[in-house]
Formats: sequence, structure tokens, C-alpha cells
Amino acid sequence: MFESVVQGIFSAAFLAAMLRVATPILLPSLGALLSDRAGVINIGLEGMMLGSAFTGVIVSAYSLQWLGPETGAALGPWLGLLAGVAVAVLMALLLGFFHLRLKADLILSGIALNILGSAATVAIMYELTGDRGNTSNLRSLVVPFIQLPSFINDIPIVGPFIYGVFNNQSVMTWVAFLSVGVVWYVLYRTPFGMHLRAAGENPAAAESVGIRVVRTRYMALVLSGVFAGLGGIHMSMGYLNLFQRDMTAGRGFIALAVPLLGGNHPIGTGLASLVFGFFDALAIRIGSLQIPSQVPQMIPYIATVMALVIYALQARQTLRVRALRAAEGENFNAPRWRAIQRLSVLHVFLAMIAVIGLIVSANLLAAPNAFGGPDSANPLAAGIGVISIILIAASAPFIARVERTASHALLSAAVSTLSLAVYLGLFLALFFEVGVALAIGAILGAAVWLVLGGRRLIQRDQRLAPATS
Amino acid sequence: MTAQRAYRRLWLALLALLVAVGVTYAISFRILGGGSNLDEFVAAMTAVPDYQNVLLVNALVGISVALFIYELRWNAVRVVATVAIALALGYLMTAIFNLDNANRFTRGEFRVAIESDAEPVENDDVELEYGQRRGDEFNRAGVAEPLRQAEYRFEGRAGDEVTVLAYAANRRSLVNLQASLIGPDGETLASATSATEAQLDAYDDLVSERDAVIENVTLPADGIYTISVSPEPLPGDLIVSETLAATNQAYEAFLLGPLGRVNRWAVWIQDALSLILVGLAIVIVFRARQFSLGAEGQIYLGALAAGVVVLNTSALPGILLIPLALLSAMVVGFLWGLVPGALKAYLGANELVATLMLNSVAIRFFDLVLTYQLKPANVGYVVSENFPDHSVLPVIVGGTQVTVAVFLVILAVIAVWLLITRTPLGYEIRMIGANIRFADYGGVNTRRTIMLAMAVSGAIAGLVGAHLSMGIHRMLILNISVGLAFEGVVVALLARNNPLVVPFTGLLYAYLRAGAQFMERDANVSFEVVRIIQAVIILLITAEAFITFFRRRRSPRRDTVLRGQGPEQQMLEVTTPAAEEKASV
Repeated sequence: MFESVVQGIFSAAFLAAMLRVATPILLPSLGALLSDRAGVINIGLEGMMLGSAFTGVIVSAYSLQWLGPETGAALGPWLGLLAGVAVAVLMALLLGFFHLRLKADLILSGIALNILGSAATVAIMYELTGDRGNTSNLRSLVVPFIQLPSFINDIPIVGPFIYGVFNNQSVMTWVAFLSVGVVWYVLYRTPFGMHLRAAGENPAAAESVGIRVVRTRYMALVLSGVFAGLGGIHMSMGYLNLFQRDMTAGRGFIALAVPLLGGNHPIGTGLASLVFGFFDALAIRIGSLQIPSQVPQMIPYIATVMALVIYALQARQTLRVRALRAAEGENFNAPRWRAIQRLSVLHVFLAMIAVIGLIVSANLLAAPNAFGGPDSANPLAAGIGVISIILIAASAPFIARVERTASHALLSAAVSTLSLAVYLGLFLALFFEVGVALAIGAILGAAVWLVLGGRRLIQRDQRLAPATS
Repeated sequence: MTAQRAYRRLWLALLALLVAVGVTYAISFRILGGGSNLDEFVAAMTAVPDYQNVLLVNALVGISVALFIYELRWNAVRVVATVAIALALGYLMTAIFNLDNANRFTRGEFRVAIESDAEPVENDDVELEYGQRRGDEFNRAGVAEPLRQAEYRFEGRAGDEVTVLAYAANRRSLVNLQASLIGPDGETLASATSATEAQLDAYDDLVSERDAVIENVTLPADGIYTISVSPEPLPGDLIVSETLAATNQAYEAFLLGPLGRVNRWAVWIQDALSLILVGLAIVIVFRARQFSLGAEGQIYLGALAAGVVVLNTSALPGILLIPLALLSAMVVGFLWGLVPGALKAYLGANELVATLMLNSVAIRFFDLVLTYQLKPANVGYVVSENFPDHSVLPVIVGGTQVTVAVFLVILAVIAVWLLITRTPLGYEIRMIGANIRFADYGGVNTRRTIMLAMAVSGAIAGLVGAHLSMGIHRMLILNISVGLAFEGVVVALLARNNPLVVPFTGLLYAYLRAGAQFMERDANVSFEVVRIIQAVIILLITAEAFITFFRRRRSPRRDTVLRGQGPEQQMLEVTTPAAEEKASV
């Protein structure tokens, strides 16, 4: 069972699936990033995605009916895309109007927009098709899929792999990943991007130097609506070829957490959405095995909560480090603190994986029948649970106070090595004997710790030791 | 001054009481059978089983109205106005959905007949001969190219006197027909759009005056004649009047549906019980300005906990089992509220996203346990066993699911009111809601308070889950709650986060939800209309500047942003913590 998972992960098909499922997260995430940087976090992404996904399907289906099979099939997807994005932008303008003009609370207005998107799509779908679940009895179109030239497949060694990953991807996938660059350029290389960031960081100061904050925020919301709209179009006209009620399944909310994990930077957001794409694709892959689908389905949501936690801890540490830098002035040892921060992220990450272990263990305990009966499930649950608790407890001190990573560097190394040995060991046990696998895991774990900054901590300790004594 | 205020308060209380009595009487009168005088009413009422308890619940509805008026005073007008505007928008939307209502006059099955005393002419190339009839269906739904016009030919001789009938084929078909007779040279000889009373009497086939009759035409020449039939084009005023009629019918079902017989009333009341509890849960977190929507997940886990306790310890007598199940649901809800509470309070993780994600996790967990652990093996769909009779909440109105949860809700309202206004925790919650930095400065342990607020809210949400499983469904089902947390947001916002007003707003919103169900059933308008109304209500009620908007337009708006962070935003009891977060990170 696990072999097939592992083989599946390293296949081109899996990476292709990862890109495909990362797209509807990446697009709204870019929208969330832009709105967040402008100080008007767009909670309504989910509703906007639904609105655009539905409009796209309806417009493409009707253009097929009205324009005839040939022109309809050629123009339909693009008309649907335009109409869908237009609806999302209108919803964004509505949000902006209520928040910026009528002083409605941003978060509650966003919630209202989500309800509106979810309800209006179902109500109109019921009126048009008589069905309240999906539009399967309406023939709608999909945006084109891009075929790579076949010579890429002929390139030796890497060719087939690249071809397998990038061939036959939706236009929207390409648009999404190209948008990362566009957003980066807009944010960091144009006056508008500078105004946008200023409006988010300190609206009063921005206003005082003549930036029209309200207008900038309107623009940011409109842009986030465009991206949410594109994401919705991908859901209903690329990923699937119909509209289902509430088909976005929380992606608009996940998108709010993705930029946080990506350090509020477009490129980080792109990478973070790939992480979510990985979890999503993994959930789909595991779902095809003999495991109840509910368990892998939890993973993207847990990952989102983890992203929030990691961001919150990072933000706090950055503040402390900044305060230390201010206090120590010239003596501040920047590389050393960078190493500490990197290691603390490692600790948080390791603890978070153990939290997933705890949740899996809870699932096993609560519904043993789903995993082959109490006799096999309970010992497994106990094992996973105990190991997870030990690993969490071991990482906790380093998460609570980052300085401990430096003051107890060897202990930190031991904990990281142990955790990684367990995780990687479980994984490598597929290929080697258990003992060998654990050993390799431990070596790799120690290496990761050293590379991430442990090396520097150990050196620093040795050099400081005589000085302090 | 104080005397004057007390005097005013007294008047307000009197007014509230008067309205309360009126509402109680009106509701009871409608659902318990009416009658033209008091004796008839009493006779009809006493025939209803458990009518005392129905009256009791109606009295509680009246008290809720009184509390609403007394607590909110002028703001009550605003709440009512907001709901009225939202309902008006909903009416507009329903009208748009009903725009095609007049189209029923352009579709349906029809028949064409030709009658004549003359001898029929035999011709195999044409469709009709004298005395025969043919038919088809206009504008059938779901067809790629629906029939819009039909033509039938017959052969006639000069001097034959013929009558052409075009009529709806059956009672279901409402098609409004027009017919014309076209001669061999292509010239229209006669046409008709309707049938007179006399014609209706003379020809048995005719159904209504919408049918068309061309009577006694003498054919001018030998040859092939054509009868052309089509639906009459719709006049604009008919479209309007039909749309309005259908919309009015839908809205009548919407606004008066819940006040039908007792079973319809019960749909309203039992939904209100859930909504009031969810509203209370949301009030607690909103008071601390935490945008936690974790109620959804807590409802699922509360229902699961209650279900597991009931199914596993059914040997206990009901008097022990029911409190135990309720308590375990509350504990589980409390713990599941503690998780995002701790994440928010100690790590600063955005509570809205965190709770929404944890909801998804909780729902998957519920599905997992129900599907694989609680579902009896011999049942085809995913439900648990029926709860034993002694473990469900005792019913107080026979034949409905209006249970002792009524009293639980009263207790919960009082408890939350006491918690918020009379306890240290409530004081701290209010302080955090008013100004978190000031609360911190004043020595409030803000982290602990935020965490506890979200956890206590979770306990009440857990109780909702227990009510759903032990009171309404009496078993565990998939999708036991569909977005109740969002409904709770509306209830709390309409109540301006005042726990004493929540019963009224919960009843009001449940009334709309129940009405929407009846509208869908009676008038085939989607239930989702009420959720659109819900979104509009949230937008309008949070838009503090809505009323002053038109005034403000005239004034220069140079410093909008600065003003947005000023005292105006504080007017709203619930405001975004995003600003504070930004400042503290």
C-alpha cells in the first residue's frame, strides 16, 4: 500500500496533478496577497470564486446554444471567462463599496459576500436547470488545455518527465504561475505597487504624502476579485467541466492562509501554494487506497491551520529579533540569529507533523472499524499517538523560547535528528531494512539540522565558551 | 431627570407589553384555528392536543418581542427596517425568477381539428381531412429546437363550409392559441385568436376562451388549404401581471407559511430553538470581537458526543442519560472551542480562517465515525441507530419536535446574559471588545479571556448539536447542520450582540427560514432566496454609515481613511481586529 503511494509521489503524473490542484489555490492566494498588502483583507474570495465559476459555466453553455456549435465552442470559453471574472470583480467592488464607502465591517461584509456567492449560485442554478446540486444537464465548455510540442518528449532522460508534468495543463494553470511574476513586478517595480504596500502598512502616512488610499484599496480589491474569478473559472471550466454547489470547498479561505506561509511575498505565495497542491494531490492519491477518504481530506485543512501557526510564530520571532537588534546595536550577530530562526521553523514544522500524527491516531481510536477492526487499529493508534506526543514534547521547549535552540544546541540537534529519523525512517523503511532506514533517517536529519544553521551555532558556542568563562 | 427617564421607561415597557400580548394573541389565533368569536376560538383551540404548551410557547414568543422592543428601543426600528429592505430585495429577486411565469401560456399540448358537413376529400399527401384532428406540443421544456409554429394541410373543394378548431389538448396545457386558415394561393382567408362562450358551448372539444375557433368559412376554390397554429405572443402587461401574481403567491407562502397549522408552526419554533442557541454562541465571541465561526464544527462534535453517549449508555434512565448527553456535548464543544481560542490568544493565528478550517476537520471526523463506527451494518444509507425513546428530549407539543429544549433555551439566554453582564469574565470580554489594548493595560488577562470566550461559545454550540441530534433528528445523520454558524452571525448581528434580544432575532430569522421552506414547497421558488436575504441583512446591518451615506456624499471626503479608524468605527460593537493585529505584529 505505502509503496504505491511513494511511487505515485515521484511520478510525473503526480507532479502534474499537483500543479493542477495548486492552481485554484494559487490564483485566489495572489488575490489574498494583494488585498492583504493593501490592508483590506478579502474574506469574500470564496464567494467570488463561486460566482465566477457559476457564471463561466452558464455563459459558456448559453453561448454554445446561441452562437451555434462552431463559433460557440470557439468563443464560449473566453466569453465565460470574461463574464466570470466580471462577476467576481463586481462582487469585489460591492465589498469595497460597503467597506470603504459605507464603513461596513470588512470581515462581516466578506462573510456576507460568501453567503451571497454560495446562495445566489444555487438559486439561479435551480431556476435555470431545475437542479440544485450541479449543472451536469447543461453542456458547458472548458478553457483550452495547452499541448507541448512533442519534441520535448524526445529529449533524453528529462524529456519525458518534463513532458509528463507540463503537457496537457489548462491555460489557467499557466496563467496562474505566470501571474506570480506579474504580481511580483506590479508590487515591487511599479508606483502603483508601492502605493498599494504603503496603503496597507500605514494608511495615515500614505494619505499624508498624497497617495489616494481609498482608491488604491479599491484597486487592490478589484485585482483580488480578478484573481478569485480566474480561480473560480479554473474550478468549473478546467479542473471540472461543470458547476457544483459550493464546489470551491473552502479554497477561498485556504487562500487567505497561503500568503502568510509564503511570507507575504508573491514568490513565497507561489511556493506555498505548491505545498498545498502537494497535500491536496496526496489526499487524492491516498484516497484511492483502502483508507477512508475522510482522513486524507482533512489534510489540506490541517495544513492551513499549521500555516497560520507557523506564520504567527515566525512573526513573533521576527519582532523579538528586531527588538534585540535594536538593543544590541553593533554587537548584534545577524547570521547567528538567522540560523536560530531557521532552526525554530524546523522545530515548529517537526512538531506540526507530529500533530498530524496525533490526529490520525485520534481517527484510528474513534473509528477502528474503518481501519480493519479494533485489533489492528488500536495498537497502531497507540503507537502513533505515543510517538507523536514524545516528539511534540521534545520540540515544545524550542518553540516556546527560540533562544534555547542556541543555548541547548546539542539538545536541539538531538531532537531534530530524532524526529527526522522517525519521519524519514518510516518513509525509507519501504526501501531498506527498518534499522538501516532509521540510521539513514538519522544521518539525513542531522545533516538537515547542520545545513539549516546548526553548524554555525556549534561553532559559535565553541568560540564563545572561553570568552564567557 | 431620573424621574422623567423612569417615566419614559415605564411607557416603553407598557408599549412592549402591549405588543407582546398582541403578538401572542395573533399567532395563537392563526395557528389554533381562529373562529369568528371568542367562544369558537376557545372551542377550536381546546381541540388541538397540548394547546396549553402551544400557548406557553407563543407567550414566550411575545416576551421575546417585548424584550426586543424594551432593550433596543429606537434601534429596534432600524432592525425592522433592515429586514424590510432585505425582504423587498428578496421580492424583487423572486419576481425576476418568476419572469417566465407567463410563458406557461405559450407552451403545452394542443390539437387542431377541421369540421365540415361536406364529403371528405381523400388525399394521402396531406395531414388532415374533414372530421380529423392532429396535435403536437408547443415549446416543450428541455428540447433543443422547441416547436413554435405548426402547419396542417387539408384538401378542400370550392363551396365547402368548414370550421377550424385549435384547442389545448388537456386541462394541464394552458397554451393560448391563435389559428389562421390559408388558401391554396397563399392568401389568409380567416384567422382567430379566441373562442366565445357560445362557441365553447357549441364545440365539446374546446377547453377555454384561450382556444381559437374559425367558424363557418366557405372555401373559394379547390385545392390544398393550410391551417397555421401558433401560441399567441405575450402582451407586456400580461407578463407583468403574471409575474406579480406568481411573486405575490410565493411571498404569501414565505411570509405567512409558518403560521399555518400547528405542524407548520412547529417547523418554525424548532428551528428557532437551534438558531437562538447558535446566536448566543456567536454573541459571546462577537462581544470579545473575535470573528470565530467555529460553531459549525462544535455543533457537529456536540451532536456526535451526545449521540455516542446516548447509544452507548442507553441502559441509564432518561433522567440521568439526557443531562449526561447534554453535558458531554457541551464539554466537547468547549474543548473544540479551546483549540482555535488558544491558537488565536497565544499564537495570534487568524481565528476566522482557523475556525473555518477546524470546522472542515470536525465535519470529516463526524462523517468518519458515523460512517464506519455508528452506522448499523444492515442500513443502506449513512445514519446511526434511532435513539431510544427515553433518551430523546421529551416532546411538549404532540406530533412535533418542539421539546423541553424550549426551557433549555430560556436557561441558556439567562445564563449568557448573566455571564456577559454580571460576571468578571463577561466584564473582561466586554472590555476586550471595546478596546483590547486598554483592557490589556488595565490588567485584564486578554489571552486567557479570549481563549475562554471562544471555548464557552463552543460549549453552547455543542448544546445546539445535542439539540439537533436528541431533539430534532433523534439519530445522527450526515450534514446534521448546514451552515448554522452563518445563520448565527445574522441572529447575533440583528440582536446587536445583546443576549436578551437574541430570542427575538432567532425567532425572526427562523420564521424567514421556515417561510422559505414553504415557499419552495408551495411556489417552487428556491430556498436559497432566504440565504441571499441573509447576506443582504449582514451587509446592511454592518454598514453603519448607510443612513448617513447620502448626507455624507455632499461633504468633502479628504480624510476618509483617518476617519475610518477613528471613533466612528467604535460605534459598531463588532469591528475588525485586523487593525489591532496589524499593529501588534
